[in-house]
Amino acid sequence: MGILLFITVLLIAACGLIYELIAGTLASYLLGDSVLQFSTIIGCYLFAMGIGSALSRYIDRGLAYRFVWIELLLGVVGGFSSALLFLAFAYTQGFQLLMYALVIVIGILVGLEIPLLMRIIRGRYDFRDVVAHVLTFDYLGALGASLLFPVLLVPYLGLVRSAMLFGIVNVAVALWGTFLFANQLAKAQALRILCCVVLCGLVIGMAQAKRITTAAEDNIYADDIIFARDTRYQHIVLTRFKDDIRLFLNSHLQFSSRDEYRYHEALIHPGLSAIPAPRRVLVLGGGDGLAVREILKYPQIESITLVDLDPEMTRLFSTHPMLTALNQKSFSASRVHIINADAFPWVDSDTESFDFIVIDFPDPTNYSLGKLYTTTFYKAAARHLSAQGLMVVQSTSPMFARDSYWCIAETIKQAGLQTYPYHVYVPSFGEWGFVIAGHREYEPPTSLPAGLRFVDAKNLPALFQFPPDMAPLPMVPNRLDDQVLVRLYDQDWKDISH
Amino acid sequence: MTVSRRGFMQSASAALVGLSLKSDPPIAGSFVNDSFQLGHQLRDHASFPSPKQILKTPVVIVGGGIAGLSAAWWLQKKGFTDFVLLEMNDQPGGNSRWGENEITAYPWAAHYVPVPGPKAIYVRELFEELAVLRDGQWEDRYLCFAPQERLFLYGRWQEGIEPAIGLSEKDRDQFRRLEERIHQFRATGKFTVPMELGLSDNTGDLDQISFADWLRDQRMDSRILNWYMNYCCRDDYGATTVETSAWAGIQYFASREPEEKGPLTWPEGNGWIVRRLLERVGKFVRTGQMVHRISHTKRGLNVLAGAVGYQAEFVIFAAPTFLAPYLIEGVAPLRDFEYSPWVTANFTLDRLPDSYGGDLTWDNVFMDSPSLGYVDATHQSLRTHVDRTVWTFYWALADGEPSRNRQLLLQRDWSYWKEAILHDLERVHHDIRRCVSRIDVMRMGHAMARPKVGAIFSPERRRLSKPHGRILFANSDLSGFSIFEEAQYRGVKAADSVLRFVGGTHGIA
Repeated sequence: MGILLFITVLLIAACGLIYELIAGTLASYLLGDSVLQFSTIIGCYLFAMGIGSALSRYIDRGLAYRFVWIELLLGVVGGFSSALLFLAFAYTQGFQLLMYALVIVIGILVGLEIPLLMRIIRGRYDFRDVVAHVLTFDYLGALGASLLFPVLLVPYLGLVRSAMLFGIVNVAVALWGTFLFANQLAKAQALRILCCVVLCGLVIGMAQAKRITTAAEDNIYADDIIFARDTRYQHIVLTRFKDDIRLFLNSHLQFSSRDEYRYHEALIHPGLSAIPAPRRVLVLGGGDGLAVREILKYPQIESITLVDLDPEMTRLFSTHPMLTALNQKSFSASRVHIINADAFPWVDSDTESFDFIVIDFPDPTNYSLGKLYTTTFYKAAARHLSAQGLMVVQSTSPMFARDSYWCIAETIKQAGLQTYPYHVYVPSFGEWGFVIAGHREYEPPTSLPAGLRFVDAKNLPALFQFPPDMAPLPMVPNRLDDQVLVRLYDQDWKDISH
Repeated sequence: MTVSRRGFMQSASAALVGLSLKSDPPIAGSFVNDSFQLGHQLRDHASFPSPKQILKTPVVIVGGGIAGLSAAWWLQKKGFTDFVLLEMNDQPGGNSRWGENEITAYPWAAHYVPVPGPKAIYVRELFEELAVLRDGQWEDRYLCFAPQERLFLYGRWQEGIEPAIGLSEKDRDQFRRLEERIHQFRATGKFTVPMELGLSDNTGDLDQISFADWLRDQRMDSRILNWYMNYCCRDDYGATTVETSAWAGIQYFASREPEEKGPLTWPEGNGWIVRRLLERVGKFVRTGQMVHRISHTKRGLNVLAGAVGYQAEFVIFAAPTFLAPYLIEGVAPLRDFEYSPWVTANFTLDRLPDSYGGDLTWDNVFMDSPSLGYVDATHQSLRTHVDRTVWTFYWALADGEPSRNRQLLLQRDWSYWKEAILHDLERVHHDIRRCVSRIDVMRMGHAMARPKVGAIFSPERRRLSKPHGRILFANSDLSGFSIFEEAQYRGVKAADSVLRFVGGTHGIA
């Protein structure tokens, strides 16, 4: 009998500490700054325990009855605390308020437990033994909880189910208390039924914990990650939220399926439709096949050569059903030839001639990528361009990186080409810029392929107009031996983020 | 369960194996391109076989470095083709030799040419021929890509090699004053590349004191400025400022425009130029041919190279000049030719160190290191993605007596140099051992001419520089220091002298 009583002390001490640890961990996960979270939570909790202990002196009668009730309440509040906090973070603004309220409620209840228990059993033992044993087991329980929590509970059960498990322990203690203190309880039977009901609730909760966390996490991390892979060259991540698929390369957004048609129609049609009889097309970059999808709308084109560095990327967009739906299986077309190679050496060594060249590289965020935006690169690319051919270059945002955009335009011009800068609005990117270039003059086309959603012949000339906040700036060209663009780009985005 | 002794030993050794897997991977490598064995045969007057074959060849070029190859290039360019070039080593190129592995080509020594100024007309002519210079424009892909250089100091990297961070007002003032002095020297037009064109007795005084003394006389005692001056002298001359003539120290800065672009560089360094020259004159080059005797005859010269003897009218002696007394009949021992010993190493990196720190640059220098740092051979690659590379590590043994350092070169084994170099690199890249799979080391006892006090205006040197008689000296060491432009200039000039007397379009004028 004695030892069982003291094990009760151990269990309830463990439960109390677990709720506190869960609150601290959750707050650290979701809000960050673990030092602040743990300090304030431990402080509130201990303070609330003090309140509980102080309040215990106002309880005069029905000590056992109230003890059982406290355990029941702790089981419910503590057991569901984690789930409640997750949902509160995902769906409300009041996460912190709820968290501290829960910590204080739990702290008060835990603060009441031990004084009440000591008073209940004081008649059975010597007072000196009561204090010594109760406190010994109290601290032992704390030790057990603090070891169990990081080693077993968090890795194997997770925060939501750990809380519920210890809620069950609290309720089990309540249930057992109805037997232990049966002689001091008037309505033991009713209490037992109540305990069983709460117990069932917690067990069901544990079984459903996955659904709770999933629901919460879906709301916390807005999009599902449907694909993530580190290739030799880059980190590819695909996310989906409802019908929106997004591609991130090294954490930079490449497209959103909701508005990529704007980007890719604008990239391809203003140039390609202006070429009299295009037969051969070269795409540099564009491993997602979306530019190729637009090019395939021209039946007279005989061959499309796509050069992309990363074979994983072109394979993914050739095989993944969700992605081939997006690029309309463009990589499976017999006219399309995929070459996985580093673009600059390929352009430099190959001698084929093309009527249309699409240059769609990631932004010049470093000196390696910056090489693909130099006079040397554009000169090498221009050697592949037929006399009537045109080239189009993805040139970052003339709005957010205005210096960079006009530097790219100037660089293309210095490579000996005539340049025609234009811009479009793509909601997920903002204002985005391109440059059409060629050995000849360019006039916007008057007819376009049928079925386009964004580009049309009537408003095409307007894309070549730049309002004052994006207007041309005098820039020096980007050269291999002096990559001004990388520094400009870095500065442009720093200016935006400040 | 009881654990047997054997079982315990097995699991213990398995644990040890597990531990050893965590240690650094082994690093392969060896000494390469050793040539002192051949040189020592000359020094020790070893006996050489008498020739089995005698060839009549009007012009023999001795030495297949830049000077010799440039002489050959010029002879052929002027329509004269009745000559051979004899190179002691199996690979021509001298200080511009290169290597190649599955990753990239890489240099063994000279790895760049500064954009030549207007006076370096032969360099410009060569570069026009090689399409390095086209319509007055330098070819972009041969100009060193950005970012070019960086210096590791105070535990971080800065852009550029001239120290720019942590300077006191005193340091800045001295850098400023030095710049003014250099500007004045530049304006005199007496410091030129090639040096012969500007050389004037008016500047002879500067050759009589060391660069260190000159800096002291100028009240330039800043530690940082002196480190930088020392670095520059070690880089171009393999010598400290104490061991360098003030004239040469000033020449380093005053002979070039301060705002020049470039330099011109290639993955294999100046080996690229050697390759282009060999495409043109390779058919005249005989490698593995060590000339061991040059003697005068009634009508010309006898050149003995192993089993072959050449009866020549002229010899262009483009090998290092210090060899002349050992080879050429009647040449007295030389006093004023001193050379700096060097070690270079090529590192194969299977991955870049995590401690790379910032953008990939071409030249990487560490402040207060005895080495000169390293150069990245894939820097001039057009690729955007490079995961393996080769670094060329340069170490001029500038401190101490050259002869003692040469002893050190011969005595120490490959692991000694490997460890010494890795220690130096570890100060900057702590994880370098985990990235390197191979380190090849090249040791050169007489790598570069050292412009000591008095060397530039040395009468001995001036005498040998003048075209005179049937033997024309052409090595860059006649300038007092070994740089590409000097070697090329002297090679071309020696060829020009020969052309005045032998056939070709110039005719016997």
